[in-house]
Amino acid sequence: MLSHWHKALLLFLWITPHVLLAVVAAIIWKRRLYEKFPCFFAYVVYEIAEFILLFALYVVPGAGKQYAYAFSATLLLSLALRFGVIDEVAKDLFRESKLLKASARRLLQCVAGALLVMGVLLAVYAPGNNGARWHAGVSVVNRGAVMVQCGLLVSLLLFSRFLGLTWRRPAFGITLGLGILTSIDLAASALRAEFTSEVMKESLNLLITGAALVGVLIWLGYLLAPEPEPASALTVVPQDEVKTWSTELQHLLRD
Amino acid sequence: MEHGAATLAQGLITAWALVAVAFFALGILVYAAVRSRTRAVDLERTVNDFRSLDIEAFRNLVDSAEEAFLRDNLSPQKFRAIKRQRMWAALLYAWEAGRAATALAKVGQAAQRSLDPEIAASGVQVTENAFRLRLQTVRVSLHLLIEVLLPSLSNRSHPSLADQYERAAETLFRLGRFPSVLRTLVRSKSA
Repeated sequence: MLSHWHKALLLFLWITPHVLLAVVAAIIWKRRLYEKFPCFFAYVVYEIAEFILLFALYVVPGAGKQYAYAFSATLLLSLALRFGVIDEVAKDLFRESKLLKASARRLLQCVAGALLVMGVLLAVYAPGNNGARWHAGVSVVNRGAVMVQCGLLVSLLLFSRFLGLTWRRPAFGITLGLGILTSIDLAASALRAEFTSEVMKESLNLLITGAALVGVLIWLGYLLAPEPEPASALTVVPQDEVKTWSTELQHLLRD
Repeated sequence: MEHGAATLAQGLITAWALVAVAFFALGILVYAAVRSRTRAVDLERTVNDFRSLDIEAFRNLVDSAEEAFLRDNLSPQKFRAIKRQRMWAALLYAWEAGRAATALAKVGQAAQRSLDPEIAASGVQVTENAFRLRLQTVRVSLHLLIEVLLPSLSNRSHPSLADQYERAAETLFRLGRFPSVLRTLVRSKSA
């Protein structure tokens, strides 16, 4: 039996991120960021629509089974959209380099392939006890997918640091928010498969909804933050020096 | 009964392993977020680090004739130990070259955002070449790592190794010629 404060907290953490997601959608629309991140925009709108459907089923008495089915069905599309979002931020990260567009993306595809294999293996070999068979199937898919997504997002961050790539604020914010969401989701889904008590289930729900709130706040913060000025300090760099650097590097790389 | 207990233990181990992976990933994300706020490219330091590189010493480290001499005059055990040390030292050169390439890439990307179209165009070239250099140092580092692990292998299969390193070191030596006018640039925050 849930105490009142627990239920109130759960509802707060469930409703608030989706209200804030509407603000995120409005900002994306106003700043025309949907042109650069169409999949992220679709994901945000989809999450809001999903919440409205699930909340409606939640408040309707006796619709528990329908809620469970709707939750699983909408989760699968949400997972698919997240892959699209990751692809978008990767494209944005490698936007300025022809070399990286080819080689780094190929490397990232290899990472994705390896993570996919690991995700499938880990999902299969950590069956847990999930009650209903269809629900167990969805849990396995979710566990594998978030593992791949979390790995891809972390790889993007490490790769950008290794190469010295500069992120644009919205792309960095999207990556960070989604990364936090998927990493907490991964931990929660792994624990949920093994610990099936009501207390644990409710605690994990709080954890996931809390992570969603943090993720959405990060998106909001990074979308609202202005892009840094086009390096005003650069005007003090004599043009011939930058050219000299370029020449020196070309000399270095000459075969 | 035993089988059930083993399955349960396996499930628990996998679950906690996934939790550990998730929190490790979370740690990296938080670190990236914090670094993005405070990151500054200390190009001056990078240049100074590279000034300390001795290209002649490096050439000696990866010279195949030198290696052949050592192989002929030392016992196999001694040769392997010395070669491992030499390749490790060369690997450190690669590490430094890679760090400088990363710093250059950041400067190049900042130059791309310049309002002056010519500086921006040069920035594109600097960035592209810095990325190429970075990837080259990775390739070279892997070769050297293999030689550290398997010192019996001959380095003659990598004839371009010394050239690549020489070029890397030469470029970074040259960076030292540039005045510190870029200090303000490289310390500007990005991301």
